[in-house]
Amino acid sequence: MVDQAAMPVDMPRQSPAETALPLRTQQAVLRGLTHDLRAPLRTIDGFAILLQRYLIQHQGMDATSSDHLQRIRDAANGAASLLDALQELTSAGRAPLRHEQVDLSLMADWVAAELQDLAPAREASVHVMPGLSVRGDEYYLKRMLARLLENAWRFSPPNVRVQVEIEGERIGERVQLRIRDHGIGFDMRYADRLFEPYQRLHGAEEGAGAGLGLAIAQCIAQRHGGRIRAESTVGAGSVFHVELVDAAPADAGDG
Amino acid sequence: MDKNILLVEDNPDDAELTRIAFAQAGLDYRLEVVRDGAQALDYLFARGAYANRRDAELPAVVLLDLNLPKLGGREVLQAIRTHETTRTLPVVVLTTSNERFDIDACYALGANRYIRKPVDFEQFVLAVKQIGLYWLVLNKPEPL
Repeated sequence: MVDQAAMPVDMPRQSPAETALPLRTQQAVLRGLTHDLRAPLRTIDGFAILLQRYLIQHQGMDATSSDHLQRIRDAANGAASLLDALQELTSAGRAPLRHEQVDLSLMADWVAAELQDLAPAREASVHVMPGLSVRGDEYYLKRMLARLLENAWRFSPPNVRVQVEIEGERIGERVQLRIRDHGIGFDMRYADRLFEPYQRLHGAEEGAGAGLGLAIAQCIAQRHGGRIRAESTVGAGSVFHVELVDAAPADAGDG
Repeated sequence: MDKNILLVEDNPDDAELTRIAFAQAGLDYRLEVVRDGAQALDYLFARGAYANRRDAELPAVVLLDLNLPKLGGREVLQAIRTHETTRTLPVVVLTTSNERFDIDACYALGANRYIRKPVDFEQFVLAVKQIGLYWLVLNKPEPL
């Protein structure tokens, strides 16, 4: 038997320019993917839950069927959050940004409240220093804080209170934020991989998600003239340093 | 009371799930489903295939998908807001996109509410309950 996958294949003699789709087409394909794939996922989740209820109602449900149906639903919802993250990453990279005064402290408190709503049973305390602000795009800056705080929640041990402190200062037109958690931390040898899409330093059993959250946060920080870097001690927690720069004063009527 | 809802939805699975979600939300309504934007306007203006619709009355609310064959959701919304008889008709955009430019465009065109269809069916039933409670029970239409 010859393993087909191991057979040598001639490389096509084409320049990258000939093989690449135009950027606009790539974006349209990506947009189609992230939107249109949600429809079949709705169908899968919707009819799995209806089947679940039907079987329960007609005494046809056993432990195995119940387990299988739950796995189908979890997979559909997992794929949906992956699509969401992918869409968020592409839109964070190309959407026109607004220039408005953004109360970062308020946004951080708001995001913390939303996370608590999603997991009401989880004990958490998030302390935010008041008065932090920057001129930029409120919608995307809130998304950036959401991804960073989500990360802090995700990598806090499950039976321990989530503890996050957010503080910072302004230096001229730059704002430095520090988001400190007391979670499981990560090995500093991999610090530069942290912000690349799909690079995960932890397994799913340690709380890892799609592996796009920090890439999204980094992309938003960069579009605001800054960047994010992280330092960590395994077992003691991490600090994310976020640098943002005030956008130019309101131009073309926005802000 | 017998209230109509017009659902503009081209995906048959989504239409069926929406029907079931409304039934599970326990709302007293009749769900009319049309498959594209042109049909939606024919229904609302009682013309074309709907010229002889028994009750030419307007629905209590229109649930509008954006990505439709023939005439897109935005164009339908625009037509509804331009036409004298449907100017104040409640329109809830119920769609897949959560891109800011879609949301902004719909509100600018006069959508009353913009809801992104969740993948999780239980979340969808909750969203439908809220639509039903607000547009079928609490909301009083503008006096003519």
